[in-house]
Amino acid sequence: MSATTAKKIDLEKYGALIALGALFVLASIIGWPYFIRPENLVNVMRQSSYTGIIALGMTFVIISGGIDLSVGAVAAFVASCGVLFMNWVLQATGGNEVLAILGGVSVMIALGFVTGALNGLLITKGKIVPFIVTLGTMSIFRYLSLQMANAGEFASQSQLYGTFGMSKIFEFTVGDQAVSLPVPVFTMLALAAILAFLLDNTRYGRYLCAVGSNARVAQYSAVRIDRVRFWAYAINGMCVGASAALLAARFNTVSTPNFGLGSELDAIAATIIGGTAMAGGRGSIWGTIIGVFMLQFIQNMLNMAGLSPYLQGVVKGIVIIGSVYIQKQRQ
Amino acid sequence: MKKVLLALLIVTMVVGGAYAQKVYRVGVSMPSATHGWMGNANWWANRAKTDWEKRDKTVQIELKFSGNVNQQVADIEDLLVKKVDALVVFPHDTSVTSIVEKAFNQGVYVVVLDRGVSKEGIYDIYITNDDEAYTRKGMEWLAKQMGYKGNLLLITGIPSPIDTIRTDTIKEVVKKYPNIKLLDVQPGDWNRQKSLTVMENYLQKYKQIDAVYTADDDMMLGAMQAYKESGRKDIKYFLGGGCLKSVIKEIMDDSNPLVKADVTYSPSVIATSISYAVIGVKGEKLNPNVYQVRALPRRIILPSELVTRENAKDFYVPEAPF
Amino acid sequence: MPDAILRVENIVKDFGSGPVLKDVNLEVRPGEILGIIGENGAGKSTLMKILAGIHQPTAGKVYVDGKAVRIADPIAARALKISLVPQEFNLIRDLPVYNNVFLGAELRKRSGVLDKESMKARTRELLAQLNVALDPEARIEGLSAAEKQMVEICKALAFDSRVLIMDEPTTMLTKFEIEILFRLTRKLRSEGMTILYISHKLKEVKHLCDRVVVLRDGELVHDGPTAEVSIVEMAQKMVGRELGSIFPVKGKPGDEVVFEARGVTVPGVLEDISFQLRKGEILGLAGLVGAGRTELAETVLGLRLRSAGTFLKDGRELDLREPADAVAAGISYLSEDRQGAGIITTFSVTRNVTLVSLGEYCRSFFRLIDKRTEKSKVQGYVDSFRIKTDSLDRRLENLSGGNQQKVSLAKAIDTSPSVLIVDEPTRGVDVSAKHEIYVFINELARKGISCLLISSELEEIIGMCDRVLVMRDGRIAGTLEGDRITEEQIMYHATGVQEEAAS
Repeated sequence: MSATTAKKIDLEKYGALIALGALFVLASIIGWPYFIRPENLVNVMRQSSYTGIIALGMTFVIISGGIDLSVGAVAAFVASCGVLFMNWVLQATGGNEVLAILGGVSVMIALGFVTGALNGLLITKGKIVPFIVTLGTMSIFRYLSLQMANAGEFASQSQLYGTFGMSKIFEFTVGDQAVSLPVPVFTMLALAAILAFLLDNTRYGRYLCAVGSNARVAQYSAVRIDRVRFWAYAINGMCVGASAALLAARFNTVSTPNFGLGSELDAIAATIIGGTAMAGGRGSIWGTIIGVFMLQFIQNMLNMAGLSPYLQGVVKGIVIIGSVYIQKQRQ
Repeated sequence: MKKVLLALLIVTMVVGGAYAQKVYRVGVSMPSATHGWMGNANWWANRAKTDWEKRDKTVQIELKFSGNVNQQVADIEDLLVKKVDALVVFPHDTSVTSIVEKAFNQGVYVVVLDRGVSKEGIYDIYITNDDEAYTRKGMEWLAKQMGYKGNLLLITGIPSPIDTIRTDTIKEVVKKYPNIKLLDVQPGDWNRQKSLTVMENYLQKYKQIDAVYTADDDMMLGAMQAYKESGRKDIKYFLGGGCLKSVIKEIMDDSNPLVKADVTYSPSVIATSISYAVIGVKGEKLNPNVYQVRALPRRIILPSELVTRENAKDFYVPEAPF
Repeated sequence: MPDAILRVENIVKDFGSGPVLKDVNLEVRPGEILGIIGENGAGKSTLMKILAGIHQPTAGKVYVDGKAVRIADPIAARALKISLVPQEFNLIRDLPVYNNVFLGAELRKRSGVLDKESMKARTRELLAQLNVALDPEARIEGLSAAEKQMVEICKALAFDSRVLIMDEPTTMLTKFEIEILFRLTRKLRSEGMTILYISHKLKEVKHLCDRVVVLRDGELVHDGPTAEVSIVEMAQKMVGRELGSIFPVKGKPGDEVVFEARGVTVPGVLEDISFQLRKGEILGLAGLVGAGRTELAETVLGLRLRSAGTFLKDGRELDLREPADAVAAGISYLSEDRQGAGIITTFSVTRNVTLVSLGEYCRSFFRLIDKRTEKSKVQGYVDSFRIKTDSLDRRLENLSGGNQQKVSLAKAIDTSPSVLIVDEPTRGVDVSAKHEIYVFINELARKGISCLLISSELEEIIGMCDRVLVMRDGRIAGTLEGDRITEEQIMYHATGVQEEAAS
């Protein structure tokens, strides 16, 4: 009995990882010889990381039984404000770039928190369902950014910020090629470690699952459900802020109509592929990371094989439905 | 199939070594077709690829169409991994600047379209359509048709820098003629359906309209649909832009009393760019009849031309999709 | 002896973790009320679900009127005129009664449009036949449990059922409603209906059924006329051993008042509720469904807003605005609605038990959950409460009702409360688990914890409580003590009517 149980749990735990491994092999074959190149793998990881960071916060929100459609718009809004602030600091201090970047990034994360908190308050105190609230704030923040920039873009005046966006750490060499971890990838993995730990080892994480599973039971069990939900959105907001800061640095500019466009759906897709239940109550941070990588692997491998982007979209849709179907079958 | 061919080619390259000819690989990254004009541009890109690959066995062109700028950056990264020799970028917006700079610094021959990058000196050639002339020519023609008086309505594209230039130019021209009254300006998002809705509202709001100027032909068709459905008879002119095939045909055949002209904003700009990239990366020179330096020019602005019944047949490409 | 209307032969059912039914043979005769009893997990519900087409047997055959049949789904069961009134009602809250009665078999006009008038008329007829004063257009949401049950029975009648299976029909009903149900059941029998009556409540089975069969661990261990077997014998056959008294000996409560309510009023729900709860006392809270007992508990938890009155703990006034306040004040609540408000079925045993008390396990500098302590504490409960589970990580949805209830109780007392409010602690729990739960509550009281026991089962109130408050229409109608705690007295206060001595 216990032996079979142990086996089952292992499959549940590592199934997604095995799938990712299989996909990696498949991608190496289909995307031969480009996919497997270290340079490409670094690219793929970096490409995943911006949505990935948002997906981490989204995982918390979805576990709590909610949804956040506003993340892409919020990213554009906070990035716009952050770059404006950065440019202002540059002028005020006569070109102190380090101070400007620190200030700008802080503003983005803080504003991310504020917007997340706004969503959280409307949902918990206003008693409006998350879908509606975030649908509303999605529109509000997207158009607020468009209004601010007159649908144009905010270019950062700091060259260093752009350099920061492309910077890497932990450089080492594979064969004759230098490989290193881009800062956004590092940030994503570090955040994932923190959030996964939070989810598994703290009261808050436990309460989050309880609220998502059955809010009434949680309420009767003396869990302050409003507070738990509020923080899910606030944490998500901070993740969005961090992602926006990194993405803005990558481009060193914020184009208000395009920045973060559609990232809410990618983040939700990655979260769901990672095994988090749409209905809430159950989810995994590392699963989400795997989901993010899977989506990007598939996209990259098909791109390398020269498949049209329209068909890539078709494959992506099939993968989303298929992975959830497999998870259902396993239960 | 294509993959097998590609693999075969690579093998031949490696094995053939010394006597293999140098293969020029050109990567192209552009937005996917979300409206008619871009659909045409995609078609032109494909046509350039087919033409070149037929004409010259040493040329390989890989096209990447992307739905948003994040995807576009990823596409360019992928093309760089594939070690392309030349890169043609039709940017979603200036967010591509840093990746374009990276490509340029790696020694890739870079051709950039439109106002796509926010930094100078990171490309070999810069090609753009003339947004300013695009609406200036159109508006001047329209003003003349209106007899420099009457009520004008404007339907613009998606709010963006390009759109702002075009709209500002129109307003500037209108200002010269005090008897032309610009009643309203609303965005139609380069979308036929949105434009139809905007026009329906206009028709409710304004009792006397003389002319409607939309930022492209797609939106003009939507607006005209709304006008036809309303049964009103007050509007005399519709003007769009970008030369949709059906609109050019109407002008050529003089079959629609409401549409008498169009302005080019050629979707073939992408094909032109691809050609420049091939010529440039191969290091070929311009025609010796040019007295100037014979290397390719660094900045190219393609003219916007007014299309009327007289010259419409020059712009009619029957095999283009739109 | 008439031929069997329904016969099952060598039925085996295995959900993949060992057989739930082992080779069961059973004959049902037309026009009888057959009682089916057994502990939770004995296989009663599984057997009935096979007859209703919800489950398929792993092996064995079902015969209707002597012909072998395959009951592939509930629609097939309906065609065979077999209806199931489930324990959890299968009604759609937002639809009116008549729509529910005809759900899935709506009457239609020739044009294909729903024939609402005929459906209403037919429903009205059926309700009249059942002597129920219920508007066919009333929405399910607003009905009492008894009324919902009538709608379920109505549904069975609408399809001319010959066999009616009732699964624990009296769980949600008050004594009076039970009487009405019994009268109706007998009436249906006299009209030729065959009834399969599943229950834990042996007294009811003895009272109502013509014949009784006992299931134990998936096997049929007894089959005979009800008249020939006593309640004690039934219980013994169910459990498979001799039974002592189900209730432990009452303890001696102290005099010190631990918890007090003074003039608590919640508009429209509670009016001027005052009582005192002493140390180590088990105070019963009796009354009909809707008398305001659960609502009183919810008010203590701060889930209902009171317009007047206060709660005091150890003489100090409490500010109770949310459940966390009650927990902080040392008050713990075991909900009557186990799956809706008590436990999280997708959570493991461990996570459920420590859900309320989790703060106690986060005492380290970084406020991390001390999983080792948590695990050992929960293992302690599993051992002492004899919770049957193969692992502490088992999700509760895989545990039986009785074990779920024990987990729920462990969760309530893991906060080390000084006041414990238990609401219907033995609902849907079998005899032996019931006994265990009574012993736990009794032990807690002996340790000095004060208990407020809310129950609809009079035996439970009488057997467990030191004192009893009887509620009626949101007020306290009477307080009973010592010898005055009798069924008659409780019902008198609960209804305000002196009733004939019950049989």
